[in-house]
Amino acid sequence: MSGPLVNGPLPDLSQSEPPFMGGSPGHGAGRLERQIWAALSEVRDPEIPPCSITDLGIVERVSLTADTLEVELLPTFSGCPALDAIREDAEAAVRPLAEGRDVRVRFVYAPPWTSDRITPEGRLALQSYGVTPPQGGPTNSARTLIPLAALHRPQRVATCPFCGSQDTFVESAFGPTLCRATHFCRACRNPFESFKPKTTGS
Amino acid sequence: MNRSDGEDPRLALVLALADDELILGHRHSEWTGWAPHIEEDLAFSSIAQDEIAHARLLYRLAREAGLTDRDEDALALGREPHEYTNAVLCERPNGEWAYTVARQYLYDTADAVRLESLAGSSWRELADAVKVMQLEEKYHLDHARVWFERLTGGPSLTAREKFAEGLARAIGEAIELFEPLAGEALLIAEGVMERSNEELLLDWLARVGEELEAASMDYVLERHAAGVGEMVPTSSGDIAGGAEEFSAPVAVRRGGRWVHEGGFTGSGGRRGRHSEDFLPLWEEMTALYRSHPGARW
Repeated sequence: MSGPLVNGPLPDLSQSEPPFMGGSPGHGAGRLERQIWAALSEVRDPEIPPCSITDLGIVERVSLTADTLEVELLPTFSGCPALDAIREDAEAAVRPLAEGRDVRVRFVYAPPWTSDRITPEGRLALQSYGVTPPQGGPTNSARTLIPLAALHRPQRVATCPFCGSQDTFVESAFGPTLCRATHFCRACRNPFESFKPKTTGS
Repeated sequence: MNRSDGEDPRLALVLALADDELILGHRHSEWTGWAPHIEEDLAFSSIAQDEIAHARLLYRLAREAGLTDRDEDALALGREPHEYTNAVLCERPNGEWAYTVARQYLYDTADAVRLESLAGSSWRELADAVKVMQLEEKYHLDHARVWFERLTGGPSLTAREKFAEGLARAIGEAIELFEPLAGEALLIAEGVMERSNEELLLDWLARVGEELEAASMDYVLERHAAGVGEMVPTSSGDIAGGAEEFSAPVAVRRGGRWVHEGGFTGSGGRRGRHSEDFLPLWEEMTALYRSHPGARW
């Protein structure tokens, strides 16, 4: 393919996106706790390397006692094969900060992870990787899928990460990883992927 | 909470859910590399990955709640055939595409009904796991509904008829997804289950009946009802199973809606009684684990 992938202004992702719901050091967090969060923000999702696990809202809680350093993570999709790697990387990242404490990093299932937890930075990082960030809202129903122009089903409109066009369609709700769907852009004729919306709302 | 025989009935509940997901996930994974086109290859591979992950989540829950000493690998791969309590529907070979998608539609609509109910379980860890599963199952249900509309909506009458045959073949065994569990009364009394399997069956059958009627496909329910009695619901190669013949309720139309008639007698999948199709699946699925017990990778 010739020419630049990006041939138009990219959509402004900072507008009207769902607010970030959790997963950051709370008010009054001590110096060490902030350092731990900073270390976790350097841990990458192995399947989407530009995104850190804090960008994706995977880190739910950091807690410190005199003897323990605990990190609770939320799995994006429960069948994600990267979960073990993420847990090990997170553990390696915080261990140098443990100051003799027992380190425990584990996945928990409450609250359920939703794609609303992805931060504005995470959305930009996804886009930079050629993956359209998940879209929310009732008009963007996740009822999509497969080659089905004939169904006239409301489809969520995904913005092409390459040219910014919304003249796109969903090829399949399934893709190369559990968290991604596959699309095609009629404007720049590129196939592309989106991060699947996963919310309690729709 | 314990039954009179000392076993906590929550184990039967978790294993029924997990075994359904594991075994059907295994069948779905058999489409990897063989589905009619690459999108479906990805779809069934992804759905399989989700279902097997849900099974793992539930097996782990059973262990963490102290219901069993066996870890998730031992539960998934280290049990004898008669210890698996999946419904027979889940173990049937994929057969042709129409049967596969008919079964997926019936299974995932039934799964949605039971998960809706279990999301309110008094057993908080189970409710939490179910809420995670529901967010992922939504995509499975969408997938099934798209195929439902595509195959029933025409223009191909052949596709429609093949789908109808698939539904008629699967629906009797889909009803068996609601076979009562051992200790179910206690589970309901404790609020672990909000509703009985019989109530869930009633709800599911009404919904499926409506959807089939809307597509003018409800004749598959009649065809299924007419076929019962001519055939033995769980077939000859029973692995465990007592002398008593197993039978399940039948779908009938009464007062403008589809309901079930008759009850469950004997032991079905939930009591570890399987069809002749289970053993080859079990042998393949557990071969590595059995030849290298305790292996990790």
